[in-house]
Amino acid sequence: MRKSSVALTVVALVLFLLASTAAAKTRVTYWLWLDDPTDTTVQELVEEFNRLHPDIEVVTETIPLANYYDQLLMAISGGGGPDAARFKDWWLGAFYDADLLEDLSPYIANWPGADDVVPNLWNTGMIPGVDGIFMLPHQYITFYLYYRADWFAEAGLNPPRTFDEFLEAALKLTDPANNRYGFGLRGGAGGQDQWLAFMVAGGARIVDEAGNIVINSPKAVEVNQWYIDLYRKHQVAPPSAPTDAYAQVVGAFQAGNTAMMAHHVGSSVMMTDVFGDNVGVLPIPAADPENPATMGTMSGNVVFSTSDVKDAAFKFISWLSEHEAMDKWSKSRQGQLPVLQSVAEQDYYTQNEFFRVSLEGGNYAIVWPPLPGTGYVASYVWQNTMQRALLGEITSQQMLDEIAKALREGN
Amino acid sequence: MLRRLNEKERFTPFLLLGPALLLMLLIVAYPLFQALRLSLFDASLLRPDRARFVGLTNYLNVLRDPLFLRSLLNSTIWVVGCVTLQFTIGMLGALLLNREFPGRGLVRGLSLIPWATSGVLVSLMWTWMLDGNYGVINDILVRLGLISQYRPWLALPISLGGVIAANVWQGAPFFAVMLLAAMQSVPQELYEAARIDGAGRFQQFRSVTIPLIMPTIVITTMLRIVWTANYMDLVFVMTGGGPGNASIILPVLSYITAYKKLKVGEATAMAVLQAILLIITLFVYLRLVNRKGEGGLSLYEV
Amino acid sequence: MRYKRVKEFLLLWIPIALWLTFVLFPYVWMFLTSLKEPSELYTSPIQYLPKKPTFAGYKLLMETTKFPQFILNSLLVVGGTLLVTGTVSTAAAYCFSRFDFRGKGKLFGMFLVTQMFPSVLLVFSLFLIMRTLGLLNTRLALIVAHSTFALPFTTWLLTGFFNSIPKSLDEAATIDGATRWQTFWYVLAPLSAPGVVAALTYVFIYSWNEFIYALTFTSSIDMRTVPVGLNTFMGEYIIRWDLLTAGGVITAIPIVIFFMLVQRRLVQGLTAGAVKG
Repeated sequence: MRKSSVALTVVALVLFLLASTAAAKTRVTYWLWLDDPTDTTVQELVEEFNRLHPDIEVVTETIPLANYYDQLLMAISGGGGPDAARFKDWWLGAFYDADLLEDLSPYIANWPGADDVVPNLWNTGMIPGVDGIFMLPHQYITFYLYYRADWFAEAGLNPPRTFDEFLEAALKLTDPANNRYGFGLRGGAGGQDQWLAFMVAGGARIVDEAGNIVINSPKAVEVNQWYIDLYRKHQVAPPSAPTDAYAQVVGAFQAGNTAMMAHHVGSSVMMTDVFGDNVGVLPIPAADPENPATMGTMSGNVVFSTSDVKDAAFKFISWLSEHEAMDKWSKSRQGQLPVLQSVAEQDYYTQNEFFRVSLEGGNYAIVWPPLPGTGYVASYVWQNTMQRALLGEITSQQMLDEIAKALREGN
Repeated sequence: MLRRLNEKERFTPFLLLGPALLLMLLIVAYPLFQALRLSLFDASLLRPDRARFVGLTNYLNVLRDPLFLRSLLNSTIWVVGCVTLQFTIGMLGALLLNREFPGRGLVRGLSLIPWATSGVLVSLMWTWMLDGNYGVINDILVRLGLISQYRPWLALPISLGGVIAANVWQGAPFFAVMLLAAMQSVPQELYEAARIDGAGRFQQFRSVTIPLIMPTIVITTMLRIVWTANYMDLVFVMTGGGPGNASIILPVLSYITAYKKLKVGEATAMAVLQAILLIITLFVYLRLVNRKGEGGLSLYEV
Repeated sequence: MRYKRVKEFLLLWIPIALWLTFVLFPYVWMFLTSLKEPSELYTSPIQYLPKKPTFAGYKLLMETTKFPQFILNSLLVVGGTLLVTGTVSTAAAYCFSRFDFRGKGKLFGMFLVTQMFPSVLLVFSLFLIMRTLGLLNTRLALIVAHSTFALPFTTWLLTGFFNSIPKSLDEAATIDGATRWQTFWYVLAPLSAPGVVAALTYVFIYSWNEFIYALTFTSSIDMRTVPVGLNTFMGEYIIRWDLLTAGGVITAIPIVIFFMLVQRRLVQGLTAGAVKG
């Protein structure tokens, strides 16, 4: 072959190789859970992002929330796992402890969208005593109470504002012969959030101001006993309550088997679809009306320290927390409270009763502290001890002692 | 009389056995050794490289843990309940399938389907049938007058019973087919002789069938005990060991300790203890059976 | 006379009907449920037969979920496992049956002892091994694991079968000039066909249904096998029993088909040789 054609071939090959590597996309794997697996909003958002950023390809995996923590652990400890993931503040402590979360503050410093985030929400992604932000806020919720306005009107009851009123209403509306119960107590997976909402509304706390674990204080034991009694003593919850998870509780409420149900704004679209005006919303009743409290939790996004494509991963998760994407997600069937001020100011949110009660609750919401053992309690210990307490195998004190120990020791 | 091995063939057995041995070494022996070693460490699932040597502490902690003892009790109920019920129903099935009737082949084929079904699918079917609000089993029990109200079976302290029911359904066909196979090799003349001697059907069963299929009974129950003790799929998917710790059996506890509590060393210690207990149980079982007169039946002679 | 015949008829067919009900009822119930619309599902009292049967659930599943991928993965894993176990255990069984050597009994016993260990004992160590070999989240990892754990029982079954074929046949073949391989292929193999079918069916069922290792070694949805996929699916669609049962039926179809194809040979095989104590 003549020298020039060889040279030409080589040049062509090199150019071809360069071109193909340049065009090669950075692949970002993103995990998430969905409360409603038939909702396509997230898929649409991902496709839009991929279109707007031709050099990045985001690929998603949906895992049910009940298995999420386990699967994430198994994948990451296996050396695989996603680059970024939707994440709960429950798990922050455990993952930080194992050095698995990337500190996002350098990225955030250069992110224009940072100013739009409601300032005190940054705390949810931080660890006390540690510099750095490990989770980018995305959607959060505060707990409130749904109630059947039609049933209440029929029975001539006022919507309950205190613990006593709550119990009274529940008792009046319980009718086992007709399969009707006052309150859909959730003893199964994920029920720790609504439990905590009632606990703090009753005056208990997980940690005090100094950061000491006080979940097993006498006050907490008392409130916990009140909660347990709903099932064991007053029987205002369905017999299946100890193992009821989200789907069962929602199913029972929608089927007209329960009068009240604790949840958050994520289900408000579905509720209004099913019930229209027959469903009302209330703040969680407080033991002491002067000191209301409820529980709040942040679902944010994290980037794992094991990832090779951190820049691209951050690009994606920060895009999700920008105005349009945030607005679209918050308005979907499972939308929650937006963390951006520009979004939250819109009429859609301020005029909607469910969003309004949620935002009001934000003023006094307590979150799970990012202790090393919080993930363990949230994914296992709470459910295990709650069920045993509901079945009468252990006392309120014993349950809280076990939780305190688990929070402290991390396992 | 086997051929004597000539020079050429001296290595043939090793070549034939080689691959099997290699796989066993790599996938069973080595992990087993690693697991035994791991049980002496305090290791976290997230960071196994940060493990600390603690000697027998894991074992001591486990043996002192009331939860371990509870799971041991549950495992015993699980194994005894499942195997005896599976055996009984399987025996009845075998007797039935041993008889002559048109379509027998098809019925035999259909009979094995439960055993061929995956544990997850069995869990799905039975969780639905046992549902507290819409479960068909509740409906049938009410119609039969056995209960007055629907119960959420898998949310009650006796949730293990529901899982046992599912396992009995899944496993009875195994016994049915194995026992049937054994029954088929019992010579007809023996039944003839017994009948001539005036023995009724039940007598024939007791004095002819049982003794002759005893080796099969022993082997299949032994296998079934081992498999059931280690079988965690059903409990894991149907109840996860719950509510609380009501249905937790040893393998599930071990899994939870590893993947929720993140203590892999402790979880491995539990599993080792379980294996030891199982081996002891089997030796005791074989002793009991041998004492009854069957004699000479050992692990190697099956 | 007639009374006796009627009595015999009933004494035979009623137990058979009861037995078949026991065996098939869960499947029938699952299938009926999958045909119901949600409005017909959550009724009180329970409706047994669907008033307006519909296949809408199936359509939704095949279009939006990854069941076809799960079935493909399971088929690949099972296929690989059948291949590996088939060859390795046949070789081992032949060796145990046709050769005598020191420690044979002990080796054979060791094989069986491995059945004692719960999967949870080995799963984490195996997880680490697979990670080191870079096999995590691959179907190959499952093929290797499944083959190894199916080996003992399969080898035991096949050894029993080979043992039941008189060695005089081997000798006759050798006298006629056959090599060891030819003896195996033309004499032993055909005679032990039912046993081989029984063994391979066992492997198929074991591998297809295996859950714990499949759960631990795979993390991405594209690699999931049927049991793991079904489990995740149950977590997602948690009270949509119409969709869950449709998914259950879909996953049951391959194995039921396979089963009906081999069941005659299988029962023959188990009946013929395995249980000769």
